[in-house]
Amino acid sequence: MTDTATAAPPVLQLQLRLLRAPSGVLLQDFALALPAGAIHTVMGPSGSGKSSLLAALCGTLEPGIRFEGQVGVDGMRVDAWPIQRRRIGLLLQDDLLFAHMTVRENLLFAVPAGPQAQRTQAVQLALDEVELLPWADADPATLSGGQRARAALARALLAQPRVLLLDEPFSKLDAPLRQRMRDLVWGAVRRRGLAAVLVTHDVADMADAQRLSMLGAPQA
Amino acid sequence: MTSLHHATARKTRTGLYGSAVVLLSASISACLAWPGLPEHAPWLRALGLSLASGAVATGLALAACAALLSAMPMGMPVRAWPRLLPAFLALPHMAFALGVLLLLSPSGVLVRWVFALLAPLQALLPWPLDAPPAWQSTQDPWGLGLVLVLVCKETPFLLWCALAQWQRPDLALRWHREMALARTWGYSERSAWWRVVWPQLLPRLAGPLLAVGMYSVSVVDVAWIIGPGAPPTLAVLAWQWLQDADPARRAQGLAAMAILAACTAVLAVVVYAAYQGWLRLGGRRRWSGGPPAMASFAPMAPNALALRWRPRVAYRALPVMYLVVAAALTFSSVAGTWPFPAVWPQQWTLQAWQSAAGSSSALGTTLWLASTSALSALVLAVLLLEALPRRFHAALMGLALGPLLLPALVWAWLLQSGALALGVDGSVSGLWLAHTLTVWPYVLLSLQAPYAAVDGRLAAVAASLGRSRWAYLWQVQLPLLRGALAGAGAIGFAVSVAQFLPTLFVGGGRFSTVSTEALALSSGGQRSLLAAYALLQWVLPACAFALAWWLGRARRFAQPSVSTSLH
Repeated sequence: MTDTATAAPPVLQLQLRLLRAPSGVLLQDFALALPAGAIHTVMGPSGSGKSSLLAALCGTLEPGIRFEGQVGVDGMRVDAWPIQRRRIGLLLQDDLLFAHMTVRENLLFAVPAGPQAQRTQAVQLALDEVELLPWADADPATLSGGQRARAALARALLAQPRVLLLDEPFSKLDAPLRQRMRDLVWGAVRRRGLAAVLVTHDVADMADAQRLSMLGAPQA
Repeated sequence: MTSLHHATARKTRTGLYGSAVVLLSASISACLAWPGLPEHAPWLRALGLSLASGAVATGLALAACAALLSAMPMGMPVRAWPRLLPAFLALPHMAFALGVLLLLSPSGVLVRWVFALLAPLQALLPWPLDAPPAWQSTQDPWGLGLVLVLVCKETPFLLWCALAQWQRPDLALRWHREMALARTWGYSERSAWWRVVWPQLLPRLAGPLLAVGMYSVSVVDVAWIIGPGAPPTLAVLAWQWLQDADPARRAQGLAAMAILAACTAVLAVVVYAAYQGWLRLGGRRRWSGGPPAMASFAPMAPNALALRWRPRVAYRALPVMYLVVAAALTFSSVAGTWPFPAVWPQQWTLQAWQSAAGSSSALGTTLWLASTSALSALVLAVLLLEALPRRFHAALMGLALGPLLLPALVWAWLLQSGALALGVDGSVSGLWLAHTLTVWPYVLLSLQAPYAAVDGRLAAVAASLGRSRWAYLWQVQLPLLRGALAGAGAIGFAVSVAQFLPTLFVGGGRFSTVSTEALALSSGGQRSLLAAYALLQWVLPACAFALAWWLGRARRFAQPSVSTSLH
């Protein structure tokens, strides 16, 4: 397990003492400190605790899994906070767009409370940024895989997170789309000064070879 | 799969334990209160009639359900039948029984038409065709009419339960793949279905089968309308005794009901033990195994002629039966003077409908009671499903199964006892509470599968977008479940409309609904008014289902302003 921290003030900080599932210890004494724009990749075999690590960061661990440690975002300790207050965004393998809403409504759902005109304007800009304006009022089910992935990214960013957790978000896309989405995501992370943790099986997904953790098999 | 199977079994067991405790306590108290049990000679024959008609009806309904499913090509059931079944389920048992009564009784529509066809042969026939026949085509002493109605009504319910399993993406995909695999080994589609899907589906129908069995044995309204009369079934005897002013008679009724339920439970245990024994002796292996050539004998793979017509007949028999009953009810409701053996009435009249519509008390009570109890049950079910973590949902379903596994009379007695204890018997609030508690299990059970199908990750994504649990609930979860919620509400409405025992027991005779009116008219001679009330029993739930369909219809999205995908 390797981790290279930089001297820049961290956006995301993790001090993990123990992550234990009923099947055994998934992770022990693991630390992360990611400054703005940093993208940390986590790799490892199935069952090594990659997804559980992301769940520990955003507070969605299943009841049987125990987490001991601290999570900090922008210097605030957030591990006791509910997920909606942590400012941690999620991008998963499936886009999980809400099927009963249009693309625009999906994005509007993520915009923080404020004047309606301002919220609508933010959605319009986001749709333009991911080239989805013509599909703004379409059924998400009619979108292509790439379009759906872009809509999910735009939705996650509209919530103004400080951290982005990515659980194999490119794995269902074909090769050309995958590269385009990587560029889009990494560009957004760096431009907005976010911290990102990427879980993947594909070395090509890695944004920064200096920031890589390889997890091993769980210990009984 | 194993865990799913265990969850189903756990739910059924929890419901069974709850029902068993209630039945045991009711049996003990009732038997203590009725020492004169052996003095009532007809009760043994009545018990035999109840058990036999219930068991035969349950077995035949299961066989019909299996035959229909096996005749469906893979993929068809999830498309066509779920749309059709609510219409069948919306028709209360009582209304169907009344329709069959109007159709098959000695002076019924069918007999008139058959006699008209036989008229040219009168000289050859040993009986006159100008008077109703002397035989008992309904209320026969063997309970055949009762069995017919129960089979026709329970088959769609079992089909609905089976298709609910089929609509689960995980099971549908696995069964489809397993059938495809079996077909590559040389089995025909039907043979593969019987050998691969049916052994997996049958244990999942254990709960619904038990509910059907308990209902069929203890049904009161259908048995009263079309069942045997001398003696009637034990449930009818118990109902009559429970309505008596004499406390000793009421205890007698409760004891009869408890004995009936206990005998049904014993019967169910015997059947279950026999099934388990069959499994232990390798029955399933022999059933599912064997070379393809062995699988080709009937009924697994019918001959070429049968293949052409049998599925069509199987698909259409049930809808045709319901259409004929609906036609008989409609026809009878507008028939005026109609002497036997005339095929058509001498006059047509809307008097019965005017009279039914004019009875604002029955219609109004039915509408407010069904609406409020369905809505309350829906709110209660959603609150429980939302408040309890998913790992407790199996236990919740077990709790909901309990009332469904109890005989209706025992449940009504429990409601009455509860209402008396709370001091709300005979009041509007007591009636509402009784109907809500009766409707709630059906609403909860119909909501369970759609709730389980909602991807749990959606909540995490919504929360990661900074939105509260309430925002997720109101803007994502409930709108996604709109169709299921509307459907569950309609089911609750239909169940409430069909109830008459809680209305009679808790209402104390102060409230009348279309069901209590129809039952009261069933022993009289007002054929058209009876048919009008029976049709109302169908029309009201049908309207609720139509409204549910409209509310739950898929959203129409705008077409994209460009036709090509940019990717």
